[in-house]
Amino acid sequence: CDNSFEEINNNPNVPTQVSADLLLSGVLRNTINDQVNMAWGIGNIVVQHTAKIQFVNEDRYLWGEQNGVWNSVYGNMRNVQNIIDLATAGKQNNYLGIALVLKSWLFSLATDAYGDVPYTDAIKAKSTGVYAPKYDTQETIYAGILADLTKANELLGTSNEVVAGDILFGGGTGSLVKWKKLANSLRLRALMRISNKRNVGSDLQAILTDNAKFPIMESNADNATLTYLAAAPNQWPLYGARVGSFDEFRASKSLVDRLSAINDPRLPVFARPVEKPSVAGKIEYVGIPNGLGDTPALNYNGGPQGVSRVGLPFACLVCSSPAPVPNVARGPVMTYAEVQFILAEAREKNLITTGSAETYYLNGIKANMDFYKAIVPAEYSIDVTPAATYYTQSGVAYTGTTQQKLEKIGTQKWVALLFNGLEAWYDWRRTGIPTVTPGPDNLNNNKVPVRFIYPRSEQSLNGQNRNEAVARQGADDLNTAVWWDK
Amino acid sequence: CLMGVVPAISAVAQTISGTVIGADDQKPLPGVSILVKGTNTGTTTNANGTYSLNVSNASTATLTFSFIGYETQVVAIGNQTTINVSLSAGTSTLGEVVVTALGIQREKKALGYATQEIQGNALTIARETNVTNQLAGKIAGVTVVGSPSGIGGSARVTIRGERSVDLNKNQPLYVIDGVPVSNGFTGGSGRNNTEVDFGNGASFINPDDIESMNVLKGAAASALYGARAANGVIVIKTKSGRGSKGIGVEINTNQTFETPLVLPKYQNVYGQGNANGGDFAFVNGAGGGLTDGTDEAWGPAFSLNKNYPQYNSPRTLNGQPIDYRGGDLNAPAGSVITATPWVPETDNLKKFLQTGNTHTTNVAVTGNNESGNFRLAHTYVNQTGIVPNTDLKRYTTSFSGGYHFTPKFSANSFVSYIKGNSGNRPSISYGTESIMYLFNCWLPPSVALDPMKDYWMRGQEGIRQFSWNYNYHDNPYLTVYENTNGQLYDRLIGNVSLKYDLTPWLSVQGRTAIDYTNEKREYRRAFSTQRFPFGQYRESRIVTEERNTDFLFTANKEVNQNWTVSGTLGGNQLQQKSDFLENNAGQLNIPGIYNLTNSRIPLQTSQAITTKRVNSLYGSAQVGFRNYLFLELTARNDWSSALTLPVYARALGVQDNSYFYPSAALSAVLSDMFVLPQQISFLKARVNYASVGNDTDPFTFTQSYNPSDPFGSSQVYGETDRLANFSLKPEISNSFEGGVELKLFKRRVGLDFSYYLTNTRNQILNIPLSITSGYNSRAINAGLIRNQGVEVALNLVPVEKANSLRWALDLNFSANRSKVIELSDNIQNFVMASRGVSIEARVGERMGDMYGIAFARVQNTDPTKPYYDASGRYVGQMVFANGRPVPTTERVKLGNYNPDFLLGINNSVSYKNVRLSFLFDIREGGKLYSETQTVGREGGIIIETLEGRANGYDLSLPGNGVIGQGVTVTSNADGSSTFAPNDVKLNSRQWHTAWTGGRNIAEGVMFDASFVKLREVQLGFSIPDRIWGKVPLRGVTLSLVGRNLAVWSKVPHVDPETMSYSGGTALPGIEYMAIPTTRSFGFNLGLKL
Repeated sequence: CDNSFEEINNNPNVPTQVSADLLLSGVLRNTINDQVNMAWGIGNIVVQHTAKIQFVNEDRYLWGEQNGVWNSVYGNMRNVQNIIDLATAGKQNNYLGIALVLKSWLFSLATDAYGDVPYTDAIKAKSTGVYAPKYDTQETIYAGILADLTKANELLGTSNEVVAGDILFGGGTGSLVKWKKLANSLRLRALMRISNKRNVGSDLQAILTDNAKFPIMESNADNATLTYLAAAPNQWPLYGARVGSFDEFRASKSLVDRLSAINDPRLPVFARPVEKPSVAGKIEYVGIPNGLGDTPALNYNGGPQGVSRVGLPFACLVCSSPAPVPNVARGPVMTYAEVQFILAEAREKNLITTGSAETYYLNGIKANMDFYKAIVPAEYSIDVTPAATYYTQSGVAYTGTTQQKLEKIGTQKWVALLFNGLEAWYDWRRTGIPTVTPGPDNLNNNKVPVRFIYPRSEQSLNGQNRNEAVARQGADDLNTAVWWDK
Repeated sequence: CLMGVVPAISAVAQTISGTVIGADDQKPLPGVSILVKGTNTGTTTNANGTYSLNVSNASTATLTFSFIGYETQVVAIGNQTTINVSLSAGTSTLGEVVVTALGIQREKKALGYATQEIQGNALTIARETNVTNQLAGKIAGVTVVGSPSGIGGSARVTIRGERSVDLNKNQPLYVIDGVPVSNGFTGGSGRNNTEVDFGNGASFINPDDIESMNVLKGAAASALYGARAANGVIVIKTKSGRGSKGIGVEINTNQTFETPLVLPKYQNVYGQGNANGGDFAFVNGAGGGLTDGTDEAWGPAFSLNKNYPQYNSPRTLNGQPIDYRGGDLNAPAGSVITATPWVPETDNLKKFLQTGNTHTTNVAVTGNNESGNFRLAHTYVNQTGIVPNTDLKRYTTSFSGGYHFTPKFSANSFVSYIKGNSGNRPSISYGTESIMYLFNCWLPPSVALDPMKDYWMRGQEGIRQFSWNYNYHDNPYLTVYENTNGQLYDRLIGNVSLKYDLTPWLSVQGRTAIDYTNEKREYRRAFSTQRFPFGQYRESRIVTEERNTDFLFTANKEVNQNWTVSGTLGGNQLQQKSDFLENNAGQLNIPGIYNLTNSRIPLQTSQAITTKRVNSLYGSAQVGFRNYLFLELTARNDWSSALTLPVYARALGVQDNSYFYPSAALSAVLSDMFVLPQQISFLKARVNYASVGNDTDPFTFTQSYNPSDPFGSSQVYGETDRLANFSLKPEISNSFEGGVELKLFKRRVGLDFSYYLTNTRNQILNIPLSITSGYNSRAINAGLIRNQGVEVALNLVPVEKANSLRWALDLNFSANRSKVIELSDNIQNFVMASRGVSIEARVGERMGDMYGIAFARVQNTDPTKPYYDASGRYVGQMVFANGRPVPTTERVKLGNYNPDFLLGINNSVSYKNVRLSFLFDIREGGKLYSETQTVGREGGIIIETLEGRANGYDLSLPGNGVIGQGVTVTSNADGSSTFAPNDVKLNSRQWHTAWTGGRNIAEGVMFDASFVKLREVQLGFSIPDRIWGKVPLRGVTLSLVGRNLAVWSKVPHVDPETMSYSGGTALPGIEYMAIPTTRSFGFNLGLKL
């Protein structure tokens, strides 16, 4: 009836196609921000890096739905899939490799948090009209993750397009090797994750043996950590928090006590001295036990001014005076330190034969110290240099039984994973290191949760598939172990 | 033989003339419409009240004299050639002429569908700044829920219930002088700001320019307006100069005062703190003292013997008083806060709010002669809200004119220019920017309010706020005086029409109309605001335009004595455009400079332009038989750009952008067809069937990639989470309606009854998807929603004495049930909105059902489900664990926000020059979720929180702590459960948070939203003109008026008649930190010169 109709209904505001670089920047920012927020909201709490003095539900394991990981993974996978489709059609192997790394990372986050989740059929509404994807077993998902990471390593660097939008590594050809290193390092993490279920030794060893083919992170320069910007809205995600909301979270007694016991120079990075020390003028760090009830939490050690705040590098604009620097803390995907701790554990368990466990272990600690040393600004007056005796004291020195050594590796890894999403929790569930004791007022029968429940919306939107997964995996609650944890 | 049947009285046309006067003042009445009954032949009286009319078959014909505000008279002509009539003022609707679709005036009795009218003077004496609020209680079948924002906010109007599962698509269409105007909800949020209600389109309509509002309730009434009329039409006829004598001047002025109708009840026993009775000391309002960082009222009990340092306590330095207060954190080092008495500040909110003030003055000049008429009016509205520093000013200048170029060729025009501005509309909803967030949840009664009026720290004016708490909250005076949401708009509504009579029975009309708004919004946030430490300046510019251009042929033909035929044929082009541009300076360089150039970070910009066009052809035919049987048929076809595939999507789908919909309506005046008992003055039956098609929003076929803020130099895009469907069909809704109108006992009793049934199919919905599919929603055609209901309007005149006492009683009753019959193959459950509870459409259930987490209870129906008690002894009891109510794992139905029925009862008593009317508005049934209740309990603010701390916090004392009524459960080895009464005592603070499971369980905060409201009272005195002698004052009427004077309900703390906003969508049934609604009272003075 009207020839201009198709012109009128053509949306002039937004494109219906964009290039991969424009999607990549968004995926990286969104997913890494989500990881930081997950660490802040629950990851740091459950592994007892931090504890709450108010609104203590998380600390008491009154968790309800925890949909952050779910929405982050699947919401961002839409754009990862678009990159995969664009790169496949355009034969852009570099973008395809990067997208496969991201896909592997994201699905590992989802399955580690929930267990069986949609994977094979996921993100296919547009391409094949699958609106209710079936849930895959975690075993299947890990096989896919490992295969994709292997493929990513093969693809990266085999085409000519210049990668842009890579806000993680800076893009260009120089970043490709870092993506390769991340791919292989993530593969180490994934193999280690399932090491109680599979014999992963030969796969691990193969990576180490052929370093040219399988480069892994070799220094902090290879870290996959997002550097934030000075200007909003790309600052450290917690920078805009209200002071009260930020200060509900405090340093956990577990963290403060463990670090104090070994005079760890990272303690001032993670925690601030209490305002009201036991002796006037003394610089004192006091952590609060996790899992206290409302009133005991608020009154602990004489009240909030007797408990250490979370450290300045992570703090919000109005969290101290003068204002913290807006872009100190990094948004981690994975760091060199973690790689070293993985290798230390693998070597200690004789899953690999290359290198020495002690060297890996000490490298890991040192890498984490150096990492903070590099980013903490001078105005905070924090010297992240360990005392000469640090590495030789009994609490740190690589001595003791195998179990004691594994505990040292695990504990140092736990420190290094602070703010690294939920990775510390995932790893703790596999190793049980370090000891995490539920708080006295916990509401989960003295059990540390080992899983998130599925989002309630899945009951109505994908009910049958979700129910099949529950029947296979076990009750949809916080205490059902996932496959690699069984 | 043939000659014999030709009536002896010839069919020759006869000229009838006469004068019409008003019965009350015996003065000529200009503008009275005179219609030959059963035809469309007619005229109106001139300025002298005289008329002249050619009537064929005069001896058998009947004339109907009708005039707005007067009883209609029907006079059989017989042998008369001069007919003088005296009309008495009254409210009868018999023989009434009403404005129907496309501005066509029709005799009400010929209509096969229900309409109900409000006269303009009913809108301007007891006023509402948003005129649509006036419909409540006055029109059967109409539900109105007002804004939670105070001044001139939006109102959500639904007629005959909700048809669409899109909450935004249930509003009626507003039509001014035959031309639609836009009525979008234009709430604003985003960019970290909480919601602001900037008013919806209809809220801008000036009541002083309205001659009548006619509500066409069903689809048949509106088939000719197209899709948007599926939810009913509110037809507004503007005032004109027609009928005035020469030049006339009318002045109306109105002054009212507003006070809160319902205020929350707060406890005044315990002050700030959350340490269950431990001491309090303010040091820095951020946890540096004793519980001074908390914002809860679980602190020490008030006592004249207690002194604590507080935010407003004076400071001393070396023992000397200094001009710094406790909360001045920039006070000299070493200064000390002096302890001051620990006493409650009662009624914080009441002290904060002020008496609102609404002033309206309207001046209208009218003129009329044989060839034309005009009306020029100016209205000034000045409103200040009950929230300090909120206001609204509105200037409306309207012109309407009509001119006969020749007897056959005439022009009419209406133009209204509205200029409005508001220095500040309040932020609403839950968040630091909303004052109700503070007052209803987080302002302990130990906090003195007055000292906060001085809201900057000493010497830090404009930079650092002074407040009682620096952890979470803003000083409420800073919020209202500095953090403003301003609005400026210019709106032009106008139309011009030309009409030409081609033949005596055929005319053609061309018309074009525009509704154009240019609006600017300014959000200012001062430095040190919690969410904006560096302040903010955000500016939106919104231009919307709707154009309608149409032509219409109208034919009227009396075929013979028995048959009359009339018809219309027309076409319309509708074009809607909107242009939205927003810039945000998320941080400012220099405090107090609200300009985009003062941004210390890159500006964030968003922009959207939309266009939609609908072309339509339509026609209607009316056939009348013997003036007692009327059939009307309509048909319409629309072609919509919104259902047209853009080029890139052509290959991906199937296009269906044309849709046809017909209607038929039958009306029978049984009292004219048959001889009925004398008591029955009038009896009419009507029935109609109508179908209405609908399109969708523009750009529904765009699978877009949306930009977001760049990361440094890297631009960022992401694909929308809504999956487009390229094969959408038009929506269709079919409705049936039947009704009866009955007048008894010489019209002392009037009854209008309607029943309707509407099926709305193939709605274009964004159904939710599991995000694991990659998308959150997908557009589909789905669903069948069935609405059924009855409406009864009963008009009684129990007492009527000539020139003396008259008592009229009008009742409007309506009950509607909207049911979800189908959704789609995969979807049994569609979440329409979610906030505290979710509003869901579930197959087989009612529309408006609210679902949420409930208290788990013992059951003995299903042994496989939890809490099965074979003995049945504990069935129904709440289950407790650790003294806390256990939540259900699934959401369950907690009620429906729609009422069971609505009833308006209006009494109108007049005695000589005095008139008293009062309207009660009754709503029975329906539930309300109250977030004030949820969070107010956590904060320890509301009166309920005294439960469990009658004697302080020591749990060993009686009255302290709460043991929830219910049972605990122990699981046995064999899978069965053992129940025992709950014996775990929680302290008061734990208990009140446990009651909602930490904002999880909604069951405990659902309330019966039934109410009775004294909606309106008017007491008017008409001063007889003779008193003025030679002073040229006429028609002086003084009225005392009140609206919403009282409410009786079971909902604590808030007006049960409220809703909330989320992203520009009005959510009924959910109270979320509503600003108190107001009662208003004052006076109205009207006069003529």
